[in-house]
Amino acid sequence: MRRVQFILAIDSYLVRKGMVAMLQRIPGASVLREFESIDLLTHYLQRHGTDFLIICDSLFLSATDLYLADPALLERTILLKQDPSSKNHGEAENRRNKIRDCIYLSEGKEEITGKISELLNPYFRNHREDNLFVLTEREKTIVRLVCMGFTNRQIAEKLFLSTHTVITHRKNIISKLGIKSVSGLTVYAIVNNIITIDEVTSKHGQ
Amino acid sequence: MIKKNMSMCQAVLEHHQLLPLLPRFNIELGFGERSVEEVCRLNRVNTDFFLEIANAYLNEDYIPQTDLSLFPVSAVVEYLTCTHTYYIDIALPGMEQKIHRLLDGSSLSEKERGLVSDFFNDYKKEFMDHISREEQRVLPYILELEKQSLKKEPDREFISTLQEYTITEYAQEHDRLENSLENLSKLIIKYLPPFEDFDLCYQVLTDLSDLVRDLIDHAHIEDKVLVPRVAELEQRLIQKLDTE
Repeated sequence: MRRVQFILAIDSYLVRKGMVAMLQRIPGASVLREFESIDLLTHYLQRHGTDFLIICDSLFLSATDLYLADPALLERTILLKQDPSSKNHGEAENRRNKIRDCIYLSEGKEEITGKISELLNPYFRNHREDNLFVLTEREKTIVRLVCMGFTNRQIAEKLFLSTHTVITHRKNIISKLGIKSVSGLTVYAIVNNIITIDEVTSKHGQ
Repeated sequence: MIKKNMSMCQAVLEHHQLLPLLPRFNIELGFGERSVEEVCRLNRVNTDFFLEIANAYLNEDYIPQTDLSLFPVSAVVEYLTCTHTYYIDIALPGMEQKIHRLLDGSSLSEKERGLVSDFFNDYKKEFMDHISREEQRVLPYILELEKQSLKKEPDREFISTLQEYTITEYAQEHDRLENSLENLSKLIIKYLPPFEDFDLCYQVLTDLSDLVRDLIDHAHIEDKVLVPRVAELEQRLIQKLDTE
């Protein structure tokens, strides 16, 4: 599963480590790097990308060059602020209006986790739509029949499909599971309750 | 966390999981009082690279401290190749032997035995295919890429092949070798009748879970360190061609 990457730029050690610990507990999120100063961050981002940047107020204030070089980064920036009322001044305030979201130090675990999860949602919604690793009911039926020892042609007849369609299904199954052999597929099917050991046909006899 | 001024002996004693890593860096035991850094230097290993790999290996959530792109691609390739050798020469044959011993002494039905032994044989074959594809095609390509990128005038013919095959395609077709292996553990723990030799059975399960962890770490280094670095080298070479 692809993990959504975060870079943290927070000068306070305690806050930074706290944020890392929180992110590590959110499924699908991963911390790529942490920075405590703006120079190293700018240098890093010139050469590498990230999905999101969580940056604290004071570093954000001095990040002019960073955002000049890559204005689109604002849409992927989450600002970490003392409290909702504190304001930046001038140019930084303009920038602030364009950022993705804010997290406040006064917020509780639920609120922060909720905000992060919202950022992750679009990534995983796509995953679910593509059904990257999950078999469809039809594919499961085909896996069952393969493990019972039926040939592609027999499966096609049973399911009123063309052999060509069965082969396409089998290719999709391989790319979803990364399992090519029938023996690997059989063990997969057993441990995922698609078939029982009794139902499996074996060349080794019953 | 392993640090460079720690005693190497202490590091290994505290984290015995490091042991399989040592031969991959051609590091031998007999450290004496030497620190991690001294042992690395003695064995001509880049200390920072060793530390990154070792710490990432010990802790899945470890975040690299040094920019991994600072290390030469060839160091990464060498490490990966040594890891392959470990899988092929030590991990897999050892496991195969234990699995056969376990099956031979068990009261499993022919069919249940067949499930396990067929699974392992096919898995091993796929594994070997994957590794030989990587060693014959991908890794030499990467080394050549690094060589060309260091040249003042890179070979135009080589650059033109870049437009046909890039590392991104390799990353996409990258097999997930570890997922399938985990199924074997589940089969043993959940679905097969218990083995009489539980001691051997636990050894097999421990070996399986060690190998799965090692493979995940291996894939992580390939996908997170090697592939982005190589993609960057490719981009630079292609741009060079475009600007000429």
